[in-house]
Amino acid sequence: MEINITKGNVDIIAVSGSIDALTSSELVKTLNDHIHDGHPNVIVDFGKVEFMSSAGLRAILASVKEARAAGGDFRLASPQPGIDKVLKMAGFYNIVKIYPTVEEALASFG
Amino acid sequence: MAEKPRIALVVGSGSVKCAAALGLWKALDHEGIPIDMLVGCSGGSIYASTMSLGFSLDECIEYTQTLWNEKVTNEKNWRAMLSAVFPKMFKFGHDFGMISDRQMMKNLHQVFGDKTFADTKIPLTIMTTDFYTGEQVPLSSGKIVDAIRASIAIPFIWSAHRVGDRVLIDGAASNPMPVDIAIKEGAEVILAMGFQAPLPSKVRSVSRYAFHINGIMTNNLYQSNFAFHNAVHHAEIIPIFPDFERSIRLFDTDQIPYAIEQGEKATQEQIPYIRKLLNL
Repeated sequence: MEINITKGNVDIIAVSGSIDALTSSELVKTLNDHIHDGHPNVIVDFGKVEFMSSAGLRAILASVKEARAAGGDFRLASPQPGIDKVLKMAGFYNIVKIYPTVEEALASFG
Repeated sequence: MAEKPRIALVVGSGSVKCAAALGLWKALDHEGIPIDMLVGCSGGSIYASTMSLGFSLDECIEYTQTLWNEKVTNEKNWRAMLSAVFPKMFKFGHDFGMISDRQMMKNLHQVFGDKTFADTKIPLTIMTTDFYTGEQVPLSSGKIVDAIRASIAIPFIWSAHRVGDRVLIDGAASNPMPVDIAIKEGAEVILAMGFQAPLPSKVRSVSRYAFHINGIMTNNLYQSNFAFHNAVHHAEIIPIFPDFERSIRLFDTDQIPYAIEQGEKATQEQIPYIRKLLNL
């Protein structure tokens, strides 16, 4: 798994590879550190995420909670079809704002 | 995670699509990855049972084609249908089901005979639902024929099945993808293969109507259970959701080879991660 952060009005955190039991703690740490570093609004670009297990889903939940507790929001962008299926099955569309593209996610912050 | 985590395969409800589990089995077998326990629900109980009894892949394919074909729906249960119209005269009760189970029982006996859970090579649990209380009833003892028959008792279609002192129906009515059973039995890595019921755009018969309503409820229950278990448990749940570009209906048994192929493909994509997780 690789994580790249692009700074802007709203920071974009691009994740690539697999988010699973072996990598999820690194993702949670990076996201939470970033949120507590004064960036409660984040867009996580899932365009290059290839696989996500239950540990990955729990990582998203943990960071969504952190972002909202810090007064911001965690929004997810451009999940690929396989990942999108898992997000839908796990009910994430009901609790997290998910957008087809990073541009739409950026626009959602106004 | 333990040095050699316990690995479970959970095959959820999904009729013919559940044959994809044989593709998953094939991919794991090719890699020498052993399964420590099997859990099946509804259509998935057929495949989980054949695998747990140690049948070869070819035998599994042959047996499931014997078990699950259009013949099992040919004989209508006219007495039950009359009981729906004249409940007192024809004694309406929990044995209501529009299709007779005679052919289904014959097929099940042909494949499983008197085999019991004690005959399995890999521990097996089959999910069913108590018709009267709605409770989840996981079965792991007794005759396999009875457990499968109860687990596939699709509401309205096949009647409930008595096992011991309980009247049981389709496991999908309470737990269409029972990953919780694997968690409870101590599995640390769970391969979860599940399927959404297809919802047709046109509903032109009573039986289709029943399937449709049943499908809506099962799909929502499936998603809720999947979301809950993913969010709150420590176990690593690896979702294996094969892509089906073709439409596969309840008795499209000619699509079994395609379902197996897609199941194998979906599993192969996860093999590197599974190997890493199992320290192989």
